[in-house]
Amino acid sequence: MGKAIAVHSYKGGTGKTSISANLAALYASNGRNVCLLDYDFRAPSIHVLFKTKINNTLNGYLEERCEITDALHDLSGKYRTKGRLHVGFADPSTEAMREMMTKDRKWEMRALHRTLAAKNTLYSKVEADFLIFDTSPGVSYSSINALASSDFVILVSKLDEFDIEGTKELVHGIYESLGRKTGLLLNRIPTEQFPMGAGQKELEQSMTKIFNLPFLGIIPCYCDIQANGGRHLFAVEQPKHPFSQALLEVIGRVEQHLDAA
Amino acid sequence: MNKPTDSSELAKLLQEINKNMVVLGMKLDRIITIQESLKKILAPKKKPSYERLPLDVATLLSLPDHLRKTALALSELGEATATQISEKTGRVRAAESDYLNQLVTKGYVSKKRRGHDVYFYIEAK
Repeated sequence: MGKAIAVHSYKGGTGKTSISANLAALYASNGRNVCLLDYDFRAPSIHVLFKTKINNTLNGYLEERCEITDALHDLSGKYRTKGRLHVGFADPSTEAMREMMTKDRKWEMRALHRTLAAKNTLYSKVEADFLIFDTSPGVSYSSINALASSDFVILVSKLDEFDIEGTKELVHGIYESLGRKTGLLLNRIPTEQFPMGAGQKELEQSMTKIFNLPFLGIIPCYCDIQANGGRHLFAVEQPKHPFSQALLEVIGRVEQHLDAA
Repeated sequence: MNKPTDSSELAKLLQEINKNMVVLGMKLDRIITIQESLKKILAPKKKPSYERLPLDVATLLSLPDHLRKTALALSELGEATATQISEKTGRVRAAESDYLNQLVTKGYVSKKRRGHDVYFYIEAK
């Protein structure tokens, strides 16, 4: 049976999409079958990174116009990954985004059931080892549907006060209520704030104390990722890049928690 | 009844009849009151009609913890017996049965009988 991981944050701009896409690519490079699912229907962006012709979208699946397998795009060949890298895109058209805004609660309930059902299909028919949901920030139906369908949540936060305070609220109000195992990943930490040596351990301890969550890692703000993260999949194009290496460590920690569960 | 012999006897008899009529009237009033009370008591009770509420994530988050766990398990299984839910949540079957029926009463979940088993499900349409 595979595992589902949601990448979520309180605010936008924490690097969720880069982290989700690169995690998926790393898993696939390491020979695991992965399905990366763009659940940010308010601001889809994964299609920009993968630059491929989109046939069916996840919107179509949730609208019951196609099967979940029809909404997947196999990009293993393009990135020469050992395992299969399947990507499900959210429809980036304005019309689709507008359409998603008008959905009522019954539709959202069906979307939750379709998402839960998709998991089983992807584990059995696509033999997925991992599903990775890229979500919209904060509390939205699509992101909470993805969280409720996941076994583990990677909670991404920057180091500013707004993020920390909002993230604390998310942890207590949403993750704990849903009973989802969650790990904290600090990302895009400015160089001047990035702790060195023993400072990293101190930061990890203080974050663990504030959030009462396992700590997954701390990633600095890399200028080249900032500039090119939307165009290049660093994990496969530059596997030696410190960003790719840091995500490998994150994978190790996530797997420890998944195994423990 | 004896034939009245004089007017005073007739008046007495009429008074008696009048008194009996008043008592009879009171008894009839009492019977009518009891009848109305009985009607209310014996009338078939209307089942409270619940609007089928969507068990979406907003509802899930608003449920108390013990019901949320059951509802989440049912959302994942789609349709399940109390035993299947208890296998998923790790709680005893009797507790899950109680929680599932609470969700039914609240209008979030439906149930149907198939053979000896009762299946709980979430109406998606």
